[in-house]
Amino acid sequence: MSEEHNAGAGIRFENVAVTYPNGFSGLRDVNLSIEPGEMVAIVGLSGAGKSTLVRTINGLVPITSGEITVGDHALSRLRGRELRRLRSEVGMVFQSFNLAKRTTVINNVLMGRLHHTSTLRTLLAAWKKDDVELAMQALERVEIVSKAYSNAAELSGGQQQRVAIARTLAQKPKVILADEPTASLDPPTSHVVMRDLQRINAELGITVIVNLHFLDLARRYGQRLIGLRAGEVVFDGAGADANEQVFETIYGRSLTAEDVLDAPVVAP
Amino acid sequence: MTDAAVLADRSARPTKPKTGWRTLGIVLVLAAITVWAAIAIGVDFGALVRNAQNASNTLIQLVQPDYSFFPQTLPALMQTVQMAVIGTAVSIVIALPVSFWASRATNPNSVFLGIVRLIMNVVRSVPDLLYASLFVTVVGTGALSGVMALVLFNLGIMVKLISEALDGLDRGGQEAALAAGATWTKANRAAMLPEVAPSYISQAIYVLELNIRASTVIGLVGAGGLGMLIDKVRTFYQYHYLSMIILEILVLVVLLELLSSYARKRLAR
Repeated sequence: MSEEHNAGAGIRFENVAVTYPNGFSGLRDVNLSIEPGEMVAIVGLSGAGKSTLVRTINGLVPITSGEITVGDHALSRLRGRELRRLRSEVGMVFQSFNLAKRTTVINNVLMGRLHHTSTLRTLLAAWKKDDVELAMQALERVEIVSKAYSNAAELSGGQQQRVAIARTLAQKPKVILADEPTASLDPPTSHVVMRDLQRINAELGITVIVNLHFLDLARRYGQRLIGLRAGEVVFDGAGADANEQVFETIYGRSLTAEDVLDAPVVAP
Repeated sequence: MTDAAVLADRSARPTKPKTGWRTLGIVLVLAAITVWAAIAIGVDFGALVRNAQNASNTLIQLVQPDYSFFPQTLPALMQTVQMAVIGTAVSIVIALPVSFWASRATNPNSVFLGIVRLIMNVVRSVPDLLYASLFVTVVGTGALSGVMALVLFNLGIMVKLISEALDGLDRGGQEAALAAGATWTKANRAAMLPEVAPSYISQAIYVLELNIRASTVIGLVGAGGLGMLIDKVRTFYQYHYLSMIILEILVLVVLLELLSSYARKRLAR
């Protein structure tokens, strides 16, 4: 990767609300300002709107009212070509990895270059040399380049998630969104994936926003922690400041062993 | 104490639903429909007995194929195989993009989707024999009209099967490609095509198999191949020859079926 990498972009939420067609309210009056290069963890119960929040940032979930600004793009007005351009600058990592399993790892990483590849080249799978090089470098960064020509289905869960991270890196993104990236992984692998994201944030200056179910992961890897409850931001501060009381606000109950990834060895 | 627990469990068990009468009712209704249909179209088992003499003569000839006729059938046999191969080749090329337009998973434009599906339903509802007789009147007798009939017939089947395969695929890769700023066409090519490829190849082999059978039949209306030969020998009551041709078709179809099931089994892995 040519190291004058696009630095991160800032993200602003202004009075953002999302109401789903079935009437369910995903987000209510969210106001946030995320600085370029920040690493933010979002926590909350399932259904609290974590997934909705990250998916509004690349337009996968359209907002009902308010405005989101990513870098210098105002999202609510983006359609078609312009929306795709914004998406090309925002990488996304999914809970279930979202790889095309029957094709090779390198082909999956090259999907991060689709926006910059012509339709004809795509149809013929005639990738540019530079793009293949970029994809290889992305695989090197997540230390899985030896699997470049393996089928994605042959990889373990942790390896698949790292391929997915390499796919976002191939986009040369300004922002990486991660929607519960560790939910399908075991604890040691979860830490590997989180450290990858942390490293990418630190070394490349890419803004990283990650949804996490487990509070200890959120506290450990998120410089900043945002708590959501019923679609509203109920906490926004440093991970270190998030004490027992804060968790009760976010979760509506006190902390249990199920809310942390690395459960204490000694029973309470 | 354990006894009491067991008793409590038993009372909580649901009683088995009684479905016996309903099953009997359904069977009776189906039987009634069959009898009604037989009466309505005038099925007459008596005719079977009255024409027994005729039938036995024909049957005796049919079980004695004339192997010396084989060399004379070769050109028609080759033509049947060639028609099937060309028909398959053309239709699988056309079917691939159309299938992507006909699947909800790969075509976000519901109006376009609806139009494609409507057209494909029409294409599929016309039987192969009708296509053949249609093209025979348009482009004349011979293999060309046969190939054209096969292409349309295949298209209906292929698009249906492949678009359904697409509907059932995991769309994770596609979602990721779209989230990375790809257009639907690019996302479908990069993420959905590799996933649907095994079923596409397997359907292509299946369609080739169908075409061998179909190309023998459509010849009856003049669309080339073995079917045309069948029509000729049948007109002159040459049942020795006819059974030779049937034997050839049988061997061809069995061979192809073996090949096809072997190939599909390899693909399924």
